[in-house]
Amino acid sequence: MLANIPHLGPLLSTWRGRLIALVVVSQLLLPLHYYFGRRDPHDERFAWRMFSPMRMAQCSPEVRIDGKRFELSSEFHEAWLETARRGRFRVLEQMTARLCKKNPSSEVVLRLSCQYLGQKQPVVYGGFNMCLSDEI
Amino acid sequence: MAKKKRPQRSKPRPARAAARNEADLPTARVVNAPQAPAPAPAFWFGFEVSWAKLLVARVVIFGILALDAVLQVRHAPRYGASDFNVANLGFLDSMGPGRVAYGGCQLAIAALLTFAVFGVATRYVLPVATVLYAWLYFGSQLDSYQHHYLVALVLAIACFVPWQRPSRDRDSGREMTAPSTPVRSWALRLLLVELGIMYLWAAISKLDTVWLDGTTLSTQIVGGLRSMIEGTVGFAVVSVMVIVIELTLAFTVWLRPAWKIAAPLGLLFHLGIVATGFEIGLFAYVMLALYILVIPDRIWRGAAEISAVEMLGKATRAITDSRGQIMLGLLAVVGVPLVVFNRLPHARTLGFLVIGIAVVAMTIAQIKKRRGGAVPAAALAVLMLWTVVDRSTTVAIDYYRFWGGSQRRIGDRDQAERAYRGMLEIEPTSEIANFYLGRILLADGRDPEGLERLHDAQHDEPRRARAFVEEARWLATQGKRLEAIAKAKDAVFADPSDAEAKAFFDSLQGGGKQPNRPKPDDDL
Repeated sequence: MLANIPHLGPLLSTWRGRLIALVVVSQLLLPLHYYFGRRDPHDERFAWRMFSPMRMAQCSPEVRIDGKRFELSSEFHEAWLETARRGRFRVLEQMTARLCKKNPSSEVVLRLSCQYLGQKQPVVYGGFNMCLSDEI
Repeated sequence: MAKKKRPQRSKPRPARAAARNEADLPTARVVNAPQAPAPAPAFWFGFEVSWAKLLVARVVIFGILALDAVLQVRHAPRYGASDFNVANLGFLDSMGPGRVAYGGCQLAIAALLTFAVFGVATRYVLPVATVLYAWLYFGSQLDSYQHHYLVALVLAIACFVPWQRPSRDRDSGREMTAPSTPVRSWALRLLLVELGIMYLWAAISKLDTVWLDGTTLSTQIVGGLRSMIEGTVGFAVVSVMVIVIELTLAFTVWLRPAWKIAAPLGLLFHLGIVATGFEIGLFAYVMLALYILVIPDRIWRGAAEISAVEMLGKATRAITDSRGQIMLGLLAVVGVPLVVFNRLPHARTLGFLVIGIAVVAMTIAQIKKRRGGAVPAAALAVLMLWTVVDRSTTVAIDYYRFWGGSQRRIGDRDQAERAYRGMLEIEPTSEIANFYLGRILLADGRDPEGLERLHDAQHDEPRRARAFVEEARWLATQGKRLEAIAKAKDAVFADPSDAEAKAFFDSLQGGGKQPNRPKPDDDL
């Protein structure tokens, strides 16, 4: 059916044309995932959101193991902490997953507080035992 | 329907095949007048740029990307630290690059892209560079720069561009390629469309009240540009202007008749980003380099006719078209010392590998009686690039400093010691390396060498108190109170403003409790 569409038919009849179509369509559609399908608003990867307001969000991750505050810097590289301070859920989830593995039968609670531009009150995520839940 | 169209596409093939035979260059397509009709759709398959433009784009784009790759080496120590990784693509979580792989791959990418600058085997070096670059980017979320995502896409598309000089007549040796020779490439059109899509989404992402009222931009821009904006139109107006510019570029950058608008607008826009001083590495320059493709062809054709440029072109061709023995000799004489002189991690091993590859490629070229002068010239350029970057920047020192700092903080003393010893090899008078190595050695019970390192640190920066304080602490733990007081006094003399030194000196004199050692975070 696509082959009958003017311009598109000839385009899709060669491997080069199909590659062009794949790149163009995927690049046009992929950023939609951020707006309609992504659970983490801080994760702006592949969405071409350079210098966006969300990029200016400042998050403070706090981890407690069995009620005691845990210093993430003692376990993870500073560069990962920087990513965590941007509120990247998946990074924080992997961090807590590692801590759960290292501390079996312990309670690892993650509380992520994020301050956004234009908002007076911070938004808080998590606050529960991450060893019982994979996602924030 | 699709099958019926195939005969039309096959029309230009005999001419192309003949041209390939003449050129003996499989990656090049000679486009002689009259041109064979472009296969449909002509929007993609009929897109042409002049050879002059393509050559400038090749040299500048890959040159900047090669430089950027070497500069990235300083970030290698963050990769693989504590065996923790979260990839940009989930399935790569456990296959992300480590410190050694990241550093080595960035140098390899720089080498491959330098070969591309010289037009050497672009059909092979670009895909390899693309795979390495994609692995480094998609393999870890440590690289969160969206422009590195763009570079990965640009490199992937660039693999399909015929970057090498179209041809010269094999029998007569007559140059068949003029600056105005059109080169047809659908991949170049795709590259520009990709830029257009990026601008479109970038504009859409800014349709947000905190962008539109200028709040976001006002938190990002500092310095002179901030004062200028505040003193003129204000951040709200500039924020709206950014969206208008990005939308305009989204619909003009890939459309040849609109290049008159896109070229000046895009160049000014990205020059403006350079002026903001955003910490985005060389990205603004990469974008400016991509605009070489948007600047109308006649400008590049005109530039090629300037006598100085013509002379430069002839000189370059004389090197690249030669059999290459002279360049190979030069590579041996200059290249080997450059490799030995280089301090970047893994550069010596990779440097000799580059020389080896050049020698093998030259040998093959000699056997096949082909011109091969570009290969040793490119190899020499690789070694020069690495060494110039090493000696004119702090990349090598930063590499060891970041490595030592991160390992020290997460408690891996062995790795930290290796890092600081590596740092001292390239910078023996580093106070940072001597100080932290001294601390590690003292904590490990290797007192004589630890003290020696602290003395070196005191000598390296006599106005900095911490190495004196550290020695005073050690003396105090050994029960040598009077010597500790004397050393603490030296610390206060070294830097009277150092609160820790003063507090420690006071505590020793007063016989009170010694203050806790602060956590130094100033030397990442």
